[in-house]
Amino acid sequence: MKIGVFLKQVPDTETKIRPAGDGSGIESGDVKWIVSPYDEFAVEAGLQLKEKSGGEVVVVSLGPARTLDAARTALAMGADRAVILDDEGFQGSDPLGTSRALAAVARKEGFDIIFCGRQAIDEDNNQVPQIVAGLLDWPHASWVNSFESEGEMATVKRPIGGGKLEVVKVRLPAVFSCTKGLNEPRYASLPGIMKAKSKPVARYTPADLELDGQVGASAAVVQLTSYQMPQARPSGRMLEGEVGDQVKELVRLLRQEAKVL
Amino acid sequence: MSLNFNLGEEHVLIQDAMAKCLEPFRGRQEELKQSILVERKFPQDLWDAICATGLMGAVIPEKYGGNGMGLLSCAIGIEALAERGFGNALLVLTAMDAACILRNGTEEMKQKYLPKMASGEMKFCFGHTEPDAGSNAFRTRTFAKKDGDDYLISGQKTFITGADVADRMLLTCRTTSREACAEQGLPKAFGLALFIVDPKAPGIELRPIPTRGIEGMTQFLVHMDNVRVPASDLVGEPDMGAMALFNSLNPERILAAASACGLSKHCLDIAVKYANERAVFKERPIGAYQAISHPLAQVRIELDSVRLLTHRAAWAFDQDMNPGTVGNYSNMAKYQASELAVKAVDRAIQTLGGYGFSEEYGVIYYYEAARLLRTAPISSEMILNFVAEHDLGLPRSY
Repeated sequence: MKIGVFLKQVPDTETKIRPAGDGSGIESGDVKWIVSPYDEFAVEAGLQLKEKSGGEVVVVSLGPARTLDAARTALAMGADRAVILDDEGFQGSDPLGTSRALAAVARKEGFDIIFCGRQAIDEDNNQVPQIVAGLLDWPHASWVNSFESEGEMATVKRPIGGGKLEVVKVRLPAVFSCTKGLNEPRYASLPGIMKAKSKPVARYTPADLELDGQVGASAAVVQLTSYQMPQARPSGRMLEGEVGDQVKELVRLLRQEAKVL
Repeated sequence: MSLNFNLGEEHVLIQDAMAKCLEPFRGRQEELKQSILVERKFPQDLWDAICATGLMGAVIPEKYGGNGMGLLSCAIGIEALAERGFGNALLVLTAMDAACILRNGTEEMKQKYLPKMASGEMKFCFGHTEPDAGSNAFRTRTFAKKDGDDYLISGQKTFITGADVADRMLLTCRTTSREACAEQGLPKAFGLALFIVDPKAPGIELRPIPTRGIEGMTQFLVHMDNVRVPASDLVGEPDMGAMALFNSLNPERILAAASACGLSKHCLDIAVKYANERAVFKERPIGAYQAISHPLAQVRIELDSVRLLTHRAAWAFDQDMNPGTVGNYSNMAKYQASELAVKAVDRAIQTLGGYGFSEEYGVIYYYEAARLLRTAPISSEMILNFVAEHDLGLPRSY
C-alpha cells in the first residue's frame, strides 16, 4: 500500500507572531518551525497503517527550502521517503494551488490513501484535504479521530458536536484529515533521526507536475493583502457591591455602553 | 564559513525526543521527585523510557546496536533531561564506559556489551576512586592477579555511584604494583588496567556510604576479595590501561558538564517562573526588581557560554581530535559548568526566599547536586592545575 501523508511546516505554537514591517507576512527571523501538530497525527496514522498492512509512507510538503526540516522529522519518525515542493514556482500558492500541487504528486506517486492534518495551525484554512479529494475525485472524511481499515474499506469516526461521533465507512482510495484523539504521535528516536539522513528526498517543479500557471502566487485566486495584529482587547471590568446592585449596574451597562440589550 | 553556532536539526529532534519521552510521566511529578530526590532511587520505568529514545546508543556505532550520532548528541540529550530535572549519573557513566570499551576493547567484548549498553538493558558504573587514590590514579592499589585464564581482583573502591543498580562496573586496577614498577624502573603510568566486573560477583561486598548530592543514586564502598574475572573482560592490554583510563575521563567530564548545564537551566526556569508570579510590594512581581532580575540574567548569559564550551568539547571528541586538546576542552567545560550550576541554584534559592528551602520546590536538593559537581568527577582545583600546566605552560604545582 502506498500511503501519502501531507504535512506543513508552521511556526511553533509558542512563537510570538509579529506581522512583518511591510505587511506581506510574518516576521520569520526568530520563529521556531515545527510540523503542524495535526499533521503529526497524520504521520502516525500513516505509520500505523504501514505497520499493519505493509507498503511505504511518503510524506509530501510544499513550502520554502526550510520545509525539508519538517519532512525530515517525519522521516525520523519512520516515514520512508519525502517529496518536497520547494521550487520558487510553488511559493505563494493559495489553498487551491497547494491542493493542485499535492493532488498532482498523489497521481504521480500513485497513492492508495492520503492522510493529512485537519488544518495547518498557521492560517487555519481547513481547505486542502477537501480540495485535494475533489481534484482526485476521491471520497474524503474530515476531522477523523478513529481509523480502522479492512481491505478497500475504512471505517472512521469523526466528532460532530454535542460529544457525539459520526461513523463513516469510506471506500479507498480516499483522503482523511486527522484530528486530536486519533493516536499518540511517536517521537523521532535517535536511530530514527540517524536513518532519516539517508532517506530519499525527491523534488518536483511545477513543470514536472504539468502545473505551470496553475500554482504559485500568480495563480492564486485568494490573495493575502496585508497582515496585522488583532486589536488588543480592553481589560474587563469587575463590578462591586451588593449582588442586587451589581445586577442593576450590569443591565445598565449592557443597555447603555455595550448596547446589546 | 565553517563556524556555525546553530544546533543541527538532528540535535533539535533529540531535544524533542527527550521532552516527549518524559511526557507519559507528567502526572507523576511528585512521586518521581520523592523517589529521586528523597529516596535516591531512579525509577526503572523512567530509565527505560529514556533509553527507548536510543540516547545510550549515541556513542555506539550501528554495528554494535547503537546509532552512532556521537557524544555531542548524547550531551545534548543529557542536558535536555537535566533541564527537566532528570539528571542521572548512570547515563553519564554508561556512555563514558561504552566509549572506553569501543575505543579499547576487543571485538568480542564490543559484541558482548555494547548492544546491551546501547539499548539501556545494561547500566554501567565506574569503579575508580579508592580510599588513597582518586585524583592521582597512579596510587591505585586494587590489584588484578593473573590466575590461569582469569584474573583475581582484590582491593577497595570508594564513592562508587550506583554500584547497587549497575549491571557492570568499569574497574581501575593495577596488574603491576607501583612498588614493582619503581623497582624495575618502569614509568609510573605503567601497570594500570581496566576490567569489566559484575558488582554482584562472588567476593564483592557493597556498603552504602551515607553521602548526599547525587540524585536518584547511592554511593558505595566496594570491597573486593579475590573476585574472579575472565581475561576476556580486561579492556585493552594489562599494564597499559593508563591512556585508556585518561581518555575515558574526557567523555565523563563532557557529559557531567552537560548535566550541569541542564541543572542550571532547570533552576533558572524555576526562579524565573517564581519571579514572574510572586508579588511582595504592590502588585509588581519581584522579577521587576533588578536585584532579582540581574543575577538571573547573568546566569542566563553564563549558561550560553558554558553550553558553547561543552558543545565544543563534545564536538572535539567526536572529531577524534588529539586527547590533549579534548582533555583541555573537557576540563574547561566541566569547570565552568559546575561553577555555574552552584551559582544558578544559589540564585534560584535567593529568588525563592524561604521557598528556596522548601522540599516542595525542591531547589534545595539541587544545591547538593550542583555543589558535588565542583568536586566530582574532578575538582575545580585539579582542573585549574591542568589548564595552568598544559594550556598556559606554567610549572606543575604538585
